[in-house]
Amino acid sequence: MIRLDNLRYRYRPGVPLALDGVSVSIARGSIHGLLGPNGAGKTTLISLLAGLLVPQEGCIVVDGEPLNDWRAARLNAIALVPQDYAFYPMLTVAENLAFFAGVQGLPRRERQCQCAKALAFSRLETVANQRAGELSGGLRRRLNLAVGLTGEPEILLLDEPTVGVDSQSRRFLLEAVRQFAATGRTVLYTSHYMEEVEAVCTDVSIIDHGKVLLAGSAAEVKCGRTLEQVFMELTGHSLRD
Amino acid sequence: MALIRDRHGLAALFIMPAVFILIMSLALADSLSGQASLAYVVLNLDDTPVSHALDARLGNVDLLKKSVSPVDEEDARQRVRAGEIAFAVVIPQGFAHQIESNQTPGLRFLADPAVPSMVRNGFRQHVEAVATRVWLTDVLERFGVSKMLPELRQATEHIGSPEIAIEAVSSQGNEAAVAVLPSSVQQTVPAWLIFSMFFVVIPISAVFIGERQRGTLQRLHAQRVPFRLVLAGKFVPFVAVNQIQAVAMVAVGRWLVPLFGGEALTLPGNAAALAALLMLSLAVSVAAVGWALFIASLARSSEQATILGGVGNILMGAIGGIMVPRFVMPASMQAWTQLSPMNWALEGFHQIMLRQGSIADVLPAVCTLGCFGLAALAATAFLNRCTAST
Repeated sequence: MIRLDNLRYRYRPGVPLALDGVSVSIARGSIHGLLGPNGAGKTTLISLLAGLLVPQEGCIVVDGEPLNDWRAARLNAIALVPQDYAFYPMLTVAENLAFFAGVQGLPRRERQCQCAKALAFSRLETVANQRAGELSGGLRRRLNLAVGLTGEPEILLLDEPTVGVDSQSRRFLLEAVRQFAATGRTVLYTSHYMEEVEAVCTDVSIIDHGKVLLAGSAAEVKCGRTLEQVFMELTGHSLRD
Repeated sequence: MALIRDRHGLAALFIMPAVFILIMSLALADSLSGQASLAYVVLNLDDTPVSHALDARLGNVDLLKKSVSPVDEEDARQRVRAGEIAFAVVIPQGFAHQIESNQTPGLRFLADPAVPSMVRNGFRQHVEAVATRVWLTDVLERFGVSKMLPELRQATEHIGSPEIAIEAVSSQGNEAAVAVLPSSVQQTVPAWLIFSMFFVVIPISAVFIGERQRGTLQRLHAQRVPFRLVLAGKFVPFVAVNQIQAVAMVAVGRWLVPLFGGEALTLPGNAAALAALLMLSLAVSVAAVGWALFIASLARSSEQATILGGVGNILMGAIGGIMVPRFVMPASMQAWTQLSPMNWALEGFHQIMLRQGSIADVLPAVCTLGCFGLAALAATAFLNRCTAST
């Protein structure tokens, strides 16, 4: 169980709180959808979980231990897959995987094994020796995910992993996420595509203005309606950007 | 309209040339107005009316100002070494006797090898002209207009130009080394080598800012990769690339320039001097790569880094004596050269390439450049820590 307890975070004095008392529980082995309009606080929440930011108030507890203590014994336990193509375009697919596995301090044999597994999982074997910058959008998305899998993380943080890909690639990525969670590992999934979240997530939290508006299992949150209807009802129709 | 809103483009078009014009105008102010900013001294070992006349007639000339006479030759050498004066004109004992006995008199120059040959030759011609006038005056005074014309003709027939031997003053402790006056290649290659090494800021900032914008740094941070490892992953390879660049530039001076009719760059002939050169080159790379990483951390985009790094390098080059030799600058501006890491590097290279300096001679430059590089790395780490927590 990952428990976010009364998290508060403000980027600078004088600006509104990015997170204002967020409390959410994420079950291990679940795919937890995090929904919210632009500026709702999703990225801040993911950054706190990834350790990029430190909570100013509140705490994050994983399996009963504070996040930092829990991570101290499991260096590669959390992986972040950012929305951008966070790899090196001048390197080949295989070189990228080897690099990211290498910086995690994995032994040579394990590194090779994990790179091969990530390649196979993402079905990138045929383009392993192609430069990442030359790949199509769908292949880049798959590589972005594959890089996140190299350390065999227990918790995967996916920030809009299907932006800009065709239907076939989206379907493949969603299936990959399901397979990953089926092994008992946890996924926190943010997306603006409601149908995607409905299709893949077991639990959902809707946040806005730094507060959790609704959280629960997908069925509880929808309560007979579509996720989009619930989302619009809670966050309103006004433009945010 | 797009250009008006492009702050970086506008900065490149207007601010960079404006700052450059300002600095170059100030740097060249004295040389263009004819005011002297380079000094020389006269050491009169002859102590005769003729030598005193020569001493008195050698006044200020172009960029060269006559300074207080040295106590002895060692004092003159020390002042040349310290960069306080460019030349010491030594009037040897027996100078007047040579003239009186109708022999060609000799003079000696102790010269700073870092002073360009153009300036050296100009000054030499000035001294020759003055010495010839003194020589002629002495002959006329000795014989007088009332003397027999054939005797006067015979005496004046010997008057040509005094023989001037120029000796480059090498670094302390290396007086035994053969001091060869440097060619223009010897003087210009180090300056442009340093300048080009600092332009490593462009590729480093492109890589570093790209990583930040794509989220690669965040990904590495999330994977608990220590920032010092990320920094080392940039620092070590780029220092190596910088060293390859230095070797390539030296090779151009050594082998390519002669193919086009220029003189070949001469490298130090002994192992100790080569070791000193390697140490200095590494220190320049540490400073250049540290500076580049700092700029890459400060800038928010590649365009911004290009402007900051490019302008910074040009300013460091202009102030540091890369584009305009330090001695040409007004005295007030010469003090500013000490602020430029490029000047520290240039002084170090001059010690080895022009003054046959040793490891001890380049240690101050190596230390200051190393400290600058480490300070820049520390600032880089600090900036990235701040970025991570905001």
